[in-house]
Amino acid sequence: MKIDLKNLSIEKAHDSFKNGSFTIRELVDEYLDMIKEKNSNINAYLEIYNDIDEQVKKAEEMFKAGTATLLTGIPIAVKDIILIKGHIASAASKILENYTATYDSFVIEKLKKQGVIFLGRTNMDEFAMGSSTETSAYGVTRNPHDTTRVPGGSSGGSAAALAADMSLASLGTETCGSVRQPASFCGLVGLRTTYGSVSRSGIIAMGSSLDQVGPFGKNVNDVEILFNAITGYDPKDSTSIPEEMRMIKKEPIKKRIGVPRNFLSGEGIDKEILKNFEESCEKLKKAGYEVVDVDLPSIKYSLAVYYIIMPAEVSSNLARYDGIRYGLSEKGDNLLDVYKKSRAKGFGKEARRRILLGTFILSHGYYDAYYNTALKVRQIIKDELFNFFKDFDAFITPTAPTLPFKLGEKMDDPMAMYLSDIFSAPANLADIPAISIPSGKTESGLPFGIQITAPFLREDILFTIGKDFEKRV
Amino acid sequence: MQLEDIRKLANMARVDMSDEEMKGIAKDFDPILAYVGQVQEALKLNKKIARQDLVDTSEGKKPEDYFLYNVMREDVATNKRDEYTENILKDAPDTQDGFLKVKQIL
Repeated sequence: MKIDLKNLSIEKAHDSFKNGSFTIRELVDEYLDMIKEKNSNINAYLEIYNDIDEQVKKAEEMFKAGTATLLTGIPIAVKDIILIKGHIASAASKILENYTATYDSFVIEKLKKQGVIFLGRTNMDEFAMGSSTETSAYGVTRNPHDTTRVPGGSSGGSAAALAADMSLASLGTETCGSVRQPASFCGLVGLRTTYGSVSRSGIIAMGSSLDQVGPFGKNVNDVEILFNAITGYDPKDSTSIPEEMRMIKKEPIKKRIGVPRNFLSGEGIDKEILKNFEESCEKLKKAGYEVVDVDLPSIKYSLAVYYIIMPAEVSSNLARYDGIRYGLSEKGDNLLDVYKKSRAKGFGKEARRRILLGTFILSHGYYDAYYNTALKVRQIIKDELFNFFKDFDAFITPTAPTLPFKLGEKMDDPMAMYLSDIFSAPANLADIPAISIPSGKTESGLPFGIQITAPFLREDILFTIGKDFEKRV
Repeated sequence: MQLEDIRKLANMARVDMSDEEMKGIAKDFDPILAYVGQVQEALKLNKKIARQDLVDTSEGKKPEDYFLYNVMREDVATNKRDEYTENILKDAPDTQDGFLKVKQIL
């Protein structure tokens, strides 16, 4: 039986389950067939879970019992950094190759209650360090729109799985653009959530002041449905926003969007991207929005701040992989030897580079010049954006400065790779939400994306503007 | 950055590395540190926005409501004895009698 996967959405699937057009089993089997057909070339999934039959049964029972929700029976792909009890989670690293999660992450617990079906774990840059999914210890992932190109990163596998119709939606994580940039490269909607809105419990940590789980979907509505399902207070995450604090007074939409002109004038931004961006601004104007040039002088420093704070946090967070309690362990003459050999063997090149960078940044003599200064500039950026949002709903930029690049193109130049996230960084540093929305394709079929950034806890603004924009692409 | 600087960092970070790799990282550091060094410039942007202007003081909210605070819990056991032991030790490289086994420390 052939189901039109290309045009499927979460609501369409749910209606089809209810009216009997197809069953959960039939839908899941379609995706498993697609995976058999495409995954060996795309390498989106590292593993298809062995308990899908039980998950399908459980979802079917929920429909029979009348307890099914919109998400019951919906098959999704899960980034290899999100813990599901009893399944391997390796963060695409050799150091966790056979690590079996001993508990469910909070987001998985929430989705399990709704009977969501987890098809498998997806490829990513090792420990989320990258913008192309090329640093994975388990091979690259290819962009389904052009398999000679990258799908973006670090959540490239989750993006590619969805873009190739190997799942109906996906979960990724962001530390700086790792959901939005692959969403843009793969023609999908990707959301970076307000810091603290989605629990980090059970998410393998990279940069704890920046990490958030984010959904991928084929349209804004699917992303909104997933966001609502995973957001919520978790006592196990001490940075999780308590429910009372989420009850902020929501200012009505002003229909005013800012364009930080000075930010878009650097070199290294594709001319085609700028052209598509201007066209997107016109579409928003036609949708009734005032689109105004603004000056945000601090945000262009965001990436520099990120590449100080993140490596510092990485060097701390990856200290736990020591060959003692779990993960790869090498024999050594003494304890220090065990640490050094296990970590040398288990970590890939980019992970080792960033750990050393972080160690340097936090070391005596450099801590003030780099880390402390970065913290101060982070606050300057936050304050500037807070002030900006008094008169605006959002600001927009392209999601990425280039179109999806060729596999291997940026691997020899770390700075060139890092600059892929130049537009993503402000949101992560300011703890605010942002969304990437497909904004067209080039003549050769490569996707464009625009990015909308909104105030703290105002994902609703992203969904409103996003849906208005979607109609006009 | 010199090879010796990287060697010290690798030792602090408890990661063995070949001289060749360390030389490569020393070279990589230079453009990265040059780029992130921009933050010094950004400090000059500090426009000193007053804290009070940044917060919503309607509906009885005070600026103090927005300050950072530590989230703590009571220092008590939250699970039953042995509840997770088997599950956790399953992943451990080396165990003995329900303990993790490590190289001699003293």
